[in-house]
Amino acid sequence: MRRREFLAAGAAALATPARARATARRAAPWLLLPMDEQQADHLKAYGLTYRALERGQRCEWFLNYRAGAFLVPNDAATARDAALNGVTALGLEAGELTELRAEMATGNMEPVPLEKPPKVAVYAPPNAAPWDDAVTMVLNYAGIGFAKVWDPEVLGPKGLTEYDWLHLHHEDFTGQYSKFYLNYAGAPWLAEMVRRNQQVARELGQPNVPALKKAVAREIRGFVERGGFLFAMCTATETLDIALAAEEVDVAAAYADGSPMDPDATRRVDWARALAFQDARLETSPTTAVFSDIDGHQVNSGDRRQPLGSYTLFNFSAKIDPVATMLVQCHRQVLPDFYGLTTSFMRRALKPGVTVLADEPGAPWVKYIHGERGQGTWTFFGGHDPEDPQHQIGDAPTDLSLHPHSPGYRLILNNVLFPAAKKKELKT
Amino acid sequence: MAAQAGGRARLARALVAALAAVGLPGRLAAQSDPIARAADFERRGNHAGAAEQYRLALADRPADVTALLGLERTLGQLGKAGELVGPARAALRADAKSAVVAGIALRAYAAADFIDSLRPITERWAALDPADEDPWRELGLLLAQKRDRAGARAAFLLARPRTGKPDALAPELAQLAGADGDWAGAAAEWARAVRRVSGYRTAAVTQLAGAPEAQRAAVLATFRAATEAPVRRVAADPLIRWGDPVAGAALIRSGLPDDGRAAGDVLRATLETLRGIAGRDARRAQGLLLEALASRSLEPAATRASLDAAQAYAEAGALEDARRLLQRLASAGGGPPGTAVAAARTLITVLADEGKVDEAEQLLERGRETLDTDERLALRRRLALGWVRQGRFDRAEAVIAADSSVEAAALRGRFQLLRGDLKGAVAWFQGAGPYAGTREESQARFALVALIQPIEADSLPALGAALLRLERGDTTGAATDLEALAGTLPPEKGGSELMLHAGRLSAARGDRVVAERRLRAAAAGNAPTTAPAAELELGRLLIALGRGPEAVPVLEHLIVTYAGSALVPQARRLLDEARGAVPPKT
Repeated sequence: MRRREFLAAGAAALATPARARATARRAAPWLLLPMDEQQADHLKAYGLTYRALERGQRCEWFLNYRAGAFLVPNDAATARDAALNGVTALGLEAGELTELRAEMATGNMEPVPLEKPPKVAVYAPPNAAPWDDAVTMVLNYAGIGFAKVWDPEVLGPKGLTEYDWLHLHHEDFTGQYSKFYLNYAGAPWLAEMVRRNQQVARELGQPNVPALKKAVAREIRGFVERGGFLFAMCTATETLDIALAAEEVDVAAAYADGSPMDPDATRRVDWARALAFQDARLETSPTTAVFSDIDGHQVNSGDRRQPLGSYTLFNFSAKIDPVATMLVQCHRQVLPDFYGLTTSFMRRALKPGVTVLADEPGAPWVKYIHGERGQGTWTFFGGHDPEDPQHQIGDAPTDLSLHPHSPGYRLILNNVLFPAAKKKELKT
Repeated sequence: MAAQAGGRARLARALVAALAAVGLPGRLAAQSDPIARAADFERRGNHAGAAEQYRLALADRPADVTALLGLERTLGQLGKAGELVGPARAALRADAKSAVVAGIALRAYAAADFIDSLRPITERWAALDPADEDPWRELGLLLAQKRDRAGARAAFLLARPRTGKPDALAPELAQLAGADGDWAGAAAEWARAVRRVSGYRTAAVTQLAGAPEAQRAAVLATFRAATEAPVRRVAADPLIRWGDPVAGAALIRSGLPDDGRAAGDVLRATLETLRGIAGRDARRAQGLLLEALASRSLEPAATRASLDAAQAYAEAGALEDARRLLQRLASAGGGPPGTAVAAARTLITVLADEGKVDEAEQLLERGRETLDTDERLALRRRLALGWVRQGRFDRAEAVIAADSSVEAAALRGRFQLLRGDLKGAVAWFQGAGPYAGTREESQARFALVALIQPIEADSLPALGAALLRLERGDTTGAATDLEALAGTLPPEKGGSELMLHAGRLSAARGDRVVAERRLRAAAAGNAPTTAPAAELELGRLLIALGRGPEAVPVLEHLIVTYAGSALVPQARRLLDEARGAVPPKT
């Protein structure tokens, strides 16, 4: 090399920022996907990691390191994936990785191996638009494949055995069509919902829609008990538990099953059968789109409706409590709240042993909870759409390319990747 | 016993009245009145308590309407609306002549699902005033709520012979028919409703807007066949919204009310509908309606409407109509100050665009004293462009000879380019700088510079000729010429750029098959500055054609191959759209 060329090359190298140099290195064996402010697309970073797992790669989730960074092997497919999706990926040499592990060992950080992509199912009616549900939207945006299942599949011969992770669309498991039956009477979408549900109930030999939904709820509980991961949002959280608790009690209005709700239903339900809640008072009015006093915000209940605040994610010990830590990985600690038919969960209605992942400080409700049942786990997240706080029926769908850093949507994706983590013995 | 109870109640009422009379606080008096207590319970959300008090009041006065309505309200809140049947039955016995009581009773029996009792109660209510439509409306609505649409329809229809009104409950029947997907039936009922009360027009238009494409012709035919102008006019709004605004405007004009004020209201309402609709047809429809409005308005509103109409016609490309109006305005006196000048100014641009440059030049010469210098120069530049379109570069140069503005420099650059003098064009464009003219003109100028930059030759008359065809409005011919010329140049020396331009022109004209071929050819050249832009355009075109999966590899190639291109973020956005990762643009 001539002296002039050598000097020019050296000067260019010195002028290049260290981070850019790291990004440019092709030979680095690892890619680090930072999940702090440097990440260009937080949501797609989850998709990239998921696809790397699908290709049989072993990845790692660095809990509490750079807001929950991912480590993925730097092969051609992954590098291409990062380029196509605009995911910030930094080349990492073996020595740098060793240093990084040493740093993690000294603080509240923990590398968690990710081994197998979970098989994801979303419980949704066949005619549900993909833009009607936050989880479906973010799975589409991140590029994580999923199957759609509904009552015939859940109650079919295979049930949910093929899936590791199940998300519940904002379904009303009390079988009362979200209690929109009277207020939206005549609306074509409601008529279609009623027709479809009634048809499926008939086909599956159920006397009515509430009975059908109770059967589905029981099957979902069985899925959890057999080791499945359940994630539910909005009204699916509250109504699933009501349907389970009310196995032998009529909690549906006359329009749904031909008989009025049992006036003594609140006293007669058995919360031991439910996953998360207990001792709730059920709403008796068929015209009020509220199910019980589990929800703290009561969005459709006039004078009981509470304004939106913000919720705070809890800190957990990454080494002792990695599951809860995984579920709260985020680059923001305080997040703006958002309404849903069920927005939050009253603290007094939680069963003992439920882990609160996020709450609104000073308020009697919590936002994000997690628990175990049998060999599986469930996570409930209140609200409908983290980037559409006042969501109304008929609103334009959220375009997530405008919210690539959405902290609320990150919480959903934490749940999708958390079943991929290799199980290890807890230290306590 | 009952007499004793009645006596006690009367005594209590007398006591309350006496206490109130001696000036005890109203609160104490209210505490003794069950209806006041019930209202208080309701305010506090204690519906069970309120219902109990209302029952107490009804025990004494079974047909008390306030108590009955209160009980209906609170039982509804408690989900026990069916329990109103007993009190309603008692009320009917106590006051058989009250329409309000009959209405409450009907709702109570419906809530209790005593469907067989609904018809007799309705008949009894209707007998109070045979011309009253309310009993049948209430019955129909209650049956509709029970999802008994056939029963509801029968009830609504029964109102016609019973009341002697052939158009009774037409809005209700229209809504029922629309909900059942019978749009022709809905249109027929709305026609009856509008014939009776013209104010139903808005409701009719709103509901009928949802008619599916296959049934729209039947809907329009119903209204067009009507003999009454207000009924016929209902079709105008759907016509405008469904893509034929000119026909909608013509329909409005053909059936305007004789009264000038009413006609003005109709015209303004339709103009409001047109406001949010883009496209030349919409602008032409605006011109038609504004012209009609002008002819029914007093000065100065009439002149203003005429000017607006001319402007709308000009934007719609209806230059003859624009000129006709403007000539009338420019020659007429008596309008607001400056009207003639404004009209003349618009007329000059219309004439120049229409190719009547000589005439425009004479008009400008005649009016030169009334225009300030900047206006005059701007109009001269417009005339110059008109001359160039006719291939008269000498006349064009002469018209702007005295103009030393940056806008004139930019125009001269354009003239050089149209002559095929690329070097001269670039020199003039550089001299004009980035701020000459409007933002759109500036962007168009830079697009031209980008087009010719990779071409090595200083002169390329064939390119000038192709761009002149484009200037004259022959987009298809210009694109064909550009494609042919692109084949004679190496891809990286302007060939790909010209092909890309040809592809964009075809896409803009909606000639999508040709556009796709040209864009693919532009991308295949692998010219580093052109290929990413061509792939982006191709991706966009494929998505617009509903071929998202085919757009995916194109956009992925762009992102991976031209990672440093400024177009990569746009490509990623389109890639999301092509994959269905984000909601489609509506």
